[in-house]
This record gives sequence, C-alpha cells and structure tokens, in this order.
Amino acid sequence: MAVRGFGELEAVVMARLWAGGGTATVREVFEQLRVEREIAYTTVQSTMDNLFRKGWVVRERAGRAYRYQTTASRAEYHAGLMRDALGGGDDSAAVLTHFVGQMSEEESVRLRELLDGRTDRGPR
Amino acid sequence: MNLAACVLLYGLVVAVLGPPLLARASRRGATPRLGIAAWSAAALSVVGSWVLAGGLVAAEVWRARDFTEQLVRGCAATVGVALTGRYGAAAQTGVVLLAVLVLSAGVLGVRFGSSLLRARRDSHRHSDAARVLGRHEETTADVVVLDAPERVAYCVAGRPATIVVTRGALAALDDAQLEAVLAHERAHLAGRHHLLVVISRALAVAMPRLRLFTTGAAEIARLVEMCADDAAAHRHGGQTVAGALLALAGASALPAPALGATATGVVERVERLLDPARRARATASQLAMLVSVVLLLVGPALGTILLELGAAMCDMAV
Repeated sequence: MAVRGFGELEAVVMARLWAGGGTATVREVFEQLRVEREIAYTTVQSTMDNLFRKGWVVRERAGRAYRYQTTASRAEYHAGLMRDALGGGDDSAAVLTHFVGQMSEEESVRLRELLDGRTDRGPR
Repeated sequence: MNLAACVLLYGLVVAVLGPPLLARASRRGATPRLGIAAWSAAALSVVGSWVLAGGLVAAEVWRARDFTEQLVRGCAATVGVALTGRYGAAAQTGVVLLAVLVLSAGVLGVRFGSSLLRARRDSHRHSDAARVLGRHEETTADVVVLDAPERVAYCVAGRPATIVVTRGALAALDDAQLEAVLAHERAHLAGRHHLLVVISRALAVAMPRLRLFTTGAAEIARLVEMCADDAAAHRHGGQTVAGALLALAGASALPAPALGATATGVVERVERLLDPARRARATASQLAMLVSVVLLLVGPALGTILLELGAAMCDMAV
C-alpha cells in the first residue's frame, strides 16, 4: 500500500475538478495544468489515481480513458472538516490536539474573571 | 504458578492504587513531562505485568507436560490430557488460566489495535482534507488556514502532519500570540504527543473499567498541553501564551461537550502560564513521581528476579 501523504498536486487537482463542475478526464486536467506549470501526463494520471484510492473521486470508463467525478462538493467536505474540528464529528476518530480544548461554563466564567483581573492590573 | 500470581497481583495493585496517587502528584502540573512519564510507566508496567504473567503461566504449562509426546499427539490432545489432570493440578489450572488469559488478551488486543488504526486513519484523512481545503501561508509551510469564523487552532498527525488555524483564530490573535500558538502546536508534533494521546486513549477504549487507563488518558491529554505550553512559553513568554489562550477561549470557542463538562484545564493552564513559579518549583510530588517512574519500570523485573532467587533457595534448602 503505497499511499503517500496528501501532496500539493492532489490539492491542485481537486481544486481543478471542483472548479470544472466536479468531473473531468486526466487529459482535461493535464491540458489545464500544463498551461501554468511544467508537468507530465503520467504525473497527473498517478495523482488522480491516488485521489481515487483515497476516496476523493470515483471514476468510470469513458472510451479508452477514465472520467473522474468528485465524491462530494467542496462545501460538503468543508462542513465535514469543520464538524470534526469543532468536536461534533462523532463518526471520526481523528485525534486533534486543540490549542484551547472544550470548556465548561464554569471554566469560561473563571477565565473571564482571570482576564478581568489582569486587565485591571495593567498589561505586563 | 506462585510467581505468575504475584505478578498479576502486582499489576492489580498498580492498577488500583496508581490512579489516585499519580493524579495527586501530577495535578499541579509542575513538571508535566514527569507526569506523562509516570502515567505512561504505570500503564506500561501493568500491561507488562499481564504479559509477563501470561508468559509465566505458559512456561509452567510447557514444563509440566512431556515434550516429545506432545509432538506426537498434537496440541489439542495434550491440552485435553492436561485438563483431565493427568499432569497434575498445576498443569490443569495452568491450561484453564492460559486459555482465559489468551482469550481476554486477544479481545483486548483487537479492541486496542482497531482503536489505534481508526484514530490513525481518521487523523490522516483529516490532515489530507485540511490540506486540500485550506489556504497555505507562504511563510509557514506546515500551517493551513481554514476559512471559518470559529476560533480554532490545532494540529493533527498525518503524512505530513498539519497545523490548522481558522480565519477566526487569525483575526483574534496578534502576531506574537500567533507565533506562540504555532510554537505550541509544533511542540506537540516534535514531541510526538499525538502518539501518546492515541495510545493512552486506545488503552482506555480497550479497558474502559480501569481508571488507570481512563484517568490516565485524560491526564496525559492534559499534561501534553502543559508540556507544549512550556515550550511555547520558553520562546515567546508565558504572558503571550496565556494571552493567546484567552484570545481563543472567547464566546465562539469550542462549545461545551454535550455529555457533562470535561475539564480540559484551560483555566489551570492560564494560571500556570501567568505564574512561572508554578512551573519551575521543585516539589515533593515531583520527587515522588520520579521514584514511582523508576519503581514502576524496574519493579516487576526486580520482583521476578527476587522471587526466582527465593524459589531457588527454597529448592536448595529442601
């Protein structure tokens, strides 16, 4: 299983797919990308293959090539990500180490008192 | 047999007595690193003692039956014979104990392992998604900014690991505070804190009735935050880190969890950051923790050796 981390290229390809209505062939993405960067067709192909294996896109045969389709819109992915990030995603076991964790009402009150106490004394 | 029972008993004692003692020693968070070491050592020591006890029982069974015959009859038949008690009561109880141990160890192992794998898979997925959806800052390659009003900053393991900051958090922090937040998250990644958190959590999931693991997971989660705070405070000053905590802990911070409020110690962290003496003070609890770490790690091995020596001396006396 040679699943490498999410490279910059994968993000670029996903952005292209979403911008283009969520569906494209490798050739179409390649033609768009080659305008702005030096890139090989096979690189785009393997990138999209990775995206398929990771579940970001599905594909179906269209003649001799595959036509790729995003599995969800950017907004849907964003909503899911934020749900996880805010601690509402019970279906995800992702371990996120938050700078400020969840706080109880008591803690918020005490924190506010602490803050007020400090500003009274002046900064530093 | 006696030895295995002793080792099991040791594990039980640590599992029962450990949590209240360790919680008291690590509560103030004077040296979070030592606290993490103590909790990890206790967990390791208990799990280790179980493995050791299992091994000892297995060795007992192994010794109690005839090796060559076993090869001929096959494993199942030998176990059957051992169960009838022909090899003696020790072998009989040994086989039963071994079966129970192997079975429960298997169940626990599967629970532990699947929890680890799930955490890993979902974390990597989250990291991937953040990288696809977030905006990359030119100056900081490891940071992505999510376009969301909530004030959130966190890091998540992955390939590569990612530090995520929301647009809301960026707006709430000044430059120095942002640097402090990033230093805090980088300290998590550099210290591989997510591994500690994931492993301790998986142990708690596998054995939810044992306070050593449930309290341990919560304590380790709390202590790694303090650890990262210290790293950030070292570079950017405690005031700045505390300021960042306060800036992100406003009304639009994370909502309180639905099921009961879990204290994550934000207040405690702020108090700690504003009072350097609380971080640096050498206390009796630190010494106690240091001693307990050493004892927990060395104890089982030392005990086993002493018992073996004792047994050998008894044999000679007879």
